Amino acid sequence: MADNRQQFWLGVRDLLPLVSGVLPFGLIAGATGISMGMTPEMVMGMTVLFFAGSAQLAAYSLIQDNAPFIIILFTVVVINLRFVIYSASFAPLLGPLKKRHRFPLTYMLSDQVYGLCSMPEQQKKSATQRIWYLSGVAISMALSWIFSVVLGVALGASIPAHWSLEFTIPLAFLAMLVTTISNRLLFMVALVSGSCAIAFQLLPYNTGFIAAVVAGVCCGLFIPNLFNTQDEKQGGKHG
Amino acid sequence: MDNLTLWLLFFAAGLGTFLIRLSFIQFHGSTEALIQRSKTILALLPPAILAALCIPGIVFSRPTSEYQVEPAQLIAGAVAILIAKFSRSVFWPVVGGMLCLWLLKAYL
Repeated sequence: MADNRQQFWLGVRDLLPLVSGVLPFGLIAGATGISMGMTPEMVMGMTVLFFAGSAQLAAYSLIQDNAPFIIILFTVVVINLRFVIYSASFAPLLGPLKKRHRFPLTYMLSDQVYGLCSMPEQQKKSATQRIWYLSGVAISMALSWIFSVVLGVALGASIPAHWSLEFTIPLAFLAMLVTTISNRLLFMVALVSGSCAIAFQLLPYNTGFIAAVVAGVCCGLFIPNLFNTQDEKQGGKHG
Repeated sequence: MDNLTLWLLFFAAGLGTFLIRLSFIQFHGSTEALIQRSKTILALLPPAILAALCIPGIVFSRPTSEYQVEPAQLIAGAVAILIAKFSRSVFWPVVGGMLCLWLLKAYL
């Protein structure tokens, strides 16, 4: 029991440095909602229900553009598709748990939880230890996210417009983009998707965004075939 | 969009997000083959989505109803990329990029 508690607090401790990244993100999420004329209750309701920062920010800009309901919903789902990867990674760990533990922990899965809990040193621990560690990370992450948004809601109107704080959103996505690019293929995918997003900018209802994502993924599926045939000729095992 | 529609949207999006998170955890054991098959696409999605999300916002000034390239934002974006490569975090690139943007706006 003492060991479990230790793992929990280890998770909390490991999350603390990441709060520096969660805080500005939450501030923006809270302040943007208020600046769009939403009530604090709505912003907090949205935050708790979404529990996904990037999707929330994307939804804001689509709501602002008067995009149709179904396009907003589709965009949110597409942005959150990365959680499928997390779901698959944690399935062996969380799948066997009872519903009352499985559902809340699943609800709290996030980029940060995935990042910390899939580090090589965590993989070595026993399943029980890993679940307690994950709980520590997930709960402290959820609390710091919600607290950051509350702070953003409170500060909302008092942040001057000429600070261009909204520019932190594409900057944050850009930083995440850089961390996800681990090889040349993924770089090509990002390049194609980004270029298409610029080219399709003026398409209505943000359909340009979906088109750009599809173009990027298709390119990523197509390019390895080119490389593979080259590798086979050279007898190499790259890519 | 009125408030009721917005609440509906939030609940639908929240439910959708939870189901995505639950997908493989719920059907643990019977999905090995599906994971293997969709792995390639899943790995390609994050860079594609993040690039489509951030590149227009970096290149053009808001509101993006017309193509208006914003050089200060481009430079700030480049600075953020450099810091991100170095620090592998989200926080410092945002801080560095914003400082760069404010400096450029103040002196240009």
